[in-house]
Amino acid sequence: MPDGRAPAPLSRRRFLTGPALLAAGAVAAPLLAGCDASSGGSAGGSSGKTTLTVMYASNELTKEHIAEFERLNPDIAIKLIENDDARLNAMLASGTPPDFVRGAAVGSANNNARGLATNLDSYLDKSSALKKSDLLAVNDNWRWDGHRIGAGPYYGITKDWSQDATLWYNRALFERAKVDDLSTTDPVTYDELLDVAGKLAVRKDGKAAVYGLGVEWQWGLSGPLFSMVLSQGGSIYNDDLTQTDVTTPEAKRALRWLVDLAQSGAAPSSLNPLPDGADLSTFMAGRMAISQDGYWYGGNFSKAAADLQATIRMAPAPVMGAKRVSPCYAGQGAWIPAKSKNKDAAWRLMEYFMAGPPAVERATSGWGLPALKSLLPKLPQDLPYQKDAYKTAQAELAYNVAMPDSPYVTSGNWVTTLNQYVDLAARKKITVDVAAQKVTDDINKLLKQGKDRIG
Amino acid sequence: MVVQKAKRTAPARPARWSRYSGRTFYLFVSPWVLGFLLLTAVPLGYAFAISLTNFDGSSSLWRWVGLSNYRELMRDSDAWASLARTLAYTALVVPLSVAISLGLAVLLNRRLRAVGLFRTIFFLPSVVPIVATAIMWKLVFNRDSGLLNAILERLGLGAVTWLVDPTAFYALIILTLWGLGTGMVIMLAALQGVPIELEEAAVVDGAGRWRVFRHVTLPMISPVLFFQVVTGVIMSFQVLVQPLLLAETNSIGAVTNVPPSTHLYMVQVYQEYFANQRFGYGSAMLWVFFVIILVSTLLVQRSSRFWVYYEVDRDQND
Repeated sequence: MPDGRAPAPLSRRRFLTGPALLAAGAVAAPLLAGCDASSGGSAGGSSGKTTLTVMYASNELTKEHIAEFERLNPDIAIKLIENDDARLNAMLASGTPPDFVRGAAVGSANNNARGLATNLDSYLDKSSALKKSDLLAVNDNWRWDGHRIGAGPYYGITKDWSQDATLWYNRALFERAKVDDLSTTDPVTYDELLDVAGKLAVRKDGKAAVYGLGVEWQWGLSGPLFSMVLSQGGSIYNDDLTQTDVTTPEAKRALRWLVDLAQSGAAPSSLNPLPDGADLSTFMAGRMAISQDGYWYGGNFSKAAADLQATIRMAPAPVMGAKRVSPCYAGQGAWIPAKSKNKDAAWRLMEYFMAGPPAVERATSGWGLPALKSLLPKLPQDLPYQKDAYKTAQAELAYNVAMPDSPYVTSGNWVTTLNQYVDLAARKKITVDVAAQKVTDDINKLLKQGKDRIG
Repeated sequence: MVVQKAKRTAPARPARWSRYSGRTFYLFVSPWVLGFLLLTAVPLGYAFAISLTNFDGSSSLWRWVGLSNYRELMRDSDAWASLARTLAYTALVVPLSVAISLGLAVLLNRRLRAVGLFRTIFFLPSVVPIVATAIMWKLVFNRDSGLLNAILERLGLGAVTWLVDPTAFYALIILTLWGLGTGMVIMLAALQGVPIELEEAAVVDGAGRWRVFRHVTLPMISPVLFFQVVTGVIMSFQVLVQPLLLAETNSIGAVTNVPPSTHLYMVQVYQEYFANQRFGYGSAMLWVFFVIILVSTLLVQRSSRFWVYYEVDRDQND
């Protein structure tokens, strides 16, 4: 050091300037990445293998499936991330989405309209495993032409699905309550169902010993509500999907039915929720006589006790009006993000998972209906309940209709809003008319915000 | 030559400080400063930038909207109602948690047989993960098969549906208070730091147990009480996970099933982010909340001059 002077001390201002600039840059960078998430994506491995980042439920895409896929495709390695909406959001926002994502057909319009998913038509046109002609109608919920669902390119493929308004019932509980069995071919009306539920319910010391009916209340009320409205010939949205009206006579009747069901105490509801949030354990314990669930529900009983297998049956979706409908509320499957860097590899997984051994395995187990026509005959028919359910589900195919789906709101929006106001109406804090108006106002506000954002 | 060298030398600093240059000091504090900037300042700045947009969290379909999210928030009755519930929750939880943890600490500060075992038992709930605790309480609160209703039944009382309104709010408070073992341990440490001679002097002067506690022990541990109140207020304001875990559903879309009474401000924020895809609006809500927490903390800080006793003069320069 010349003249032996110590270096000038670092001033507080100078010290803080550097990190502050760093921080400012760090603020700007993710925001800009959010603006145009064009960078990132799953990179290929240095070994020449493509690493496919997959976000899925590990009990559906199992370790065995992954090992078999990697054996059949030695140039691809799968990195599985457990299904997580918040993490998916973060990955999409940062421009590094997974290559293959779990998602439902119903409600996919929102992602599709926002340009998040890959148009799969070019892959479908070339594929020998997945052909458009083999896709069942439930896959049409993945289609989006810029204006409506059911037309235009496919943006996803369904893994399995069900007619979710159908019923499963326990004949032993019917017999105990001296109530006639439900028909496995002819639908009951919702009014009859409410009446039957009341007769089947057993209360003891202020507690529900047996529930007459479960409608999977805690999974959301939009499915049952839409189904009831469609059954009356009503509609949920206007033509351009930018407005809803739940104050129509059809929608109010459906709301009234839900409120009556909650107030009857014959079913778990927001007034009396189930501890695990789902009907299955209560139904399997013989404490619920009817559960409104789709064909997939039967898969739970393939290894159940023989007496339970002997007593359960499936019944068609109830009707509220003159029109018989049997919609699918979800139709879980997969989509490939538009920003994926490994779309070809992701498509190979799509073919394997949707049409390969896992699809056959699912179909033969009865865990939902396959989304391919060619796999329908593989549904199980060994046990009496499986034979009956097969016939019922086949008959219901004729009444399958698409659920209303606007790109400008999410399924979660409907569930939240309906929960809020149906609960208030069930507690008699507001009338059904007020609830209908509130739901309409809130959803229309969200639709407007969505429309403003998406354009 | 010696004289010349002396002239060129800067005025001598005190010997003990000369060993530490400014550079060394800042080098040592830089990990914290960088951590603060990158993990606190950056997220804050990023959230503020997002709050000026209509960003949906995933797509590139967004634009700057100026302060419109803040203007909308001023008119959002749902947000203000959730804030009011949060204030009510805080007003109940903070005094209760401080009082109960202090009470337990006083009990466990006595010379009892197996006091270590009791300390462990009381502390244990706070080390159990919150998810496990919430599941346990959901089973306890269950109307049809829960322990609580079984006890009520034995007492000849009717079953209560605990996890729906209005009782869901109290269920949430019970769940929160279940994990106050950490506060108890801090209180216990504070109590053990109170000089015994002060308490003995008070006894010699004729003070009873309560007066000793009120006029000697409490003032001596008041800085710890102050710490508990400040951190308690901040944490109560930010409660999110507990209402979601107590919600009447499984993890999928829990936010859609949170009963109104436990729909606290952070639940509303979570709903705006992840159910409504309104990251911009949610960020505006968070920024307003940040200011509210800041002001609340400052108010508590200001109030401390009336009830917190420091043995040293805080204004004295050392």
